[in-house]
Amino acid sequence: MTSRSAFAEGDPRRLLSATRSLTNRVRRAQRATWLPLLVFATVTFVSILVTAYGGHHPWTCATMPGHPGGRVCSVYSTAQFVYWPIALVLAYAAIAAFYIRRSNARGVGTRVRPYAVAGAIIAVAVTAVAAWGSYKLLVTPDPAALTSMPLRLVTPAGAIGLALLVLTWAERNRALLLLSVAYLAVVLLPLNFWVLGPNPNWVVPIAIHGMVLLLGGTGFLLAQRPWRRPA
Amino acid sequence: MTAHPTNGLDDVVHQRVRLGVLAIAHEARRVEFGFLRDNLGVSPGNLSQHLGVLENAGLIDIEKGYEGKRARTWVTLTKAGRMALSAEIANLKALISRVESPGTPPD
Repeated sequence: MTSRSAFAEGDPRRLLSATRSLTNRVRRAQRATWLPLLVFATVTFVSILVTAYGGHHPWTCATMPGHPGGRVCSVYSTAQFVYWPIALVLAYAAIAAFYIRRSNARGVGTRVRPYAVAGAIIAVAVTAVAAWGSYKLLVTPDPAALTSMPLRLVTPAGAIGLALLVLTWAERNRALLLLSVAYLAVVLLPLNFWVLGPNPNWVVPIAIHGMVLLLGGTGFLLAQRPWRRPA
Repeated sequence: MTAHPTNGLDDVVHQRVRLGVLAIAHEARRVEFGFLRDNLGVSPGNLSQHLGVLENAGLIDIEKGYEGKRARTWVTLTKAGRMALSAEIANLKALISRVESPGTPPD
């Protein structure tokens, strides 16, 4: 820390300018944007392994309207209904714990609580809506709905993106706003060419989501340099 | 005739170190003595005096405790402190606006 004051004597303009400068110093000292991004990049990449090896389990079946003898069955994946809600809630708890510990060490309060609380609520809500959506698809099968925009938002990736918007507000961080919007665009835009065709590759979209978070987290890590104490 | 913006300036708040304490505490919500000292560039004794003035005016709350063997002093802004800071910022802006206004006669 510097012993030089950022707060100079002077006219009202200089007082206001110095006040803004102090506010920015506090914000810089509070930010640890790299951590949630890197945590969720890791959680996203691990989900690929869970999806690949966790398996799918039969849930329930129903007769298909207009197809005598035909049945449509709903399955749930370990990743969708077990891994993601647990991983997201644990991730938010770990992120909140890190922010609070860092806040005590630096002597400046943190605004992580709204982010962690909103993130955990969104994670649980997304899981509930996904379960309801699975049931709904079972009752009225509509393959087109699988790639609809609302359904893409009600995914773990969408939940991460929505919570990042809350972190953007909490940290007053314009760079994170740009990244959050870009991430949500990648999640929401119908770039689904890899899920069509005879051998759909489900890994590609998840890997892209993970890469966006990883690159963003690395960028913030280099910009914020947490190994240095704030000036 | 409207009141001159300087009439609204509060002597307790309109002081560079005390205004700095309020600005930092407002943004940080909770701030430790050492962070204030380092960022305002004042001596511990000087900062303690200013914190005393703000506490007596009811603008901040001071909480003292220990973290292990280390004594720590945390400062939080009260509701009156938030209002005083907002009023001071508004007055400073009004003052700048009045000074920069082309038709304003010199005081």
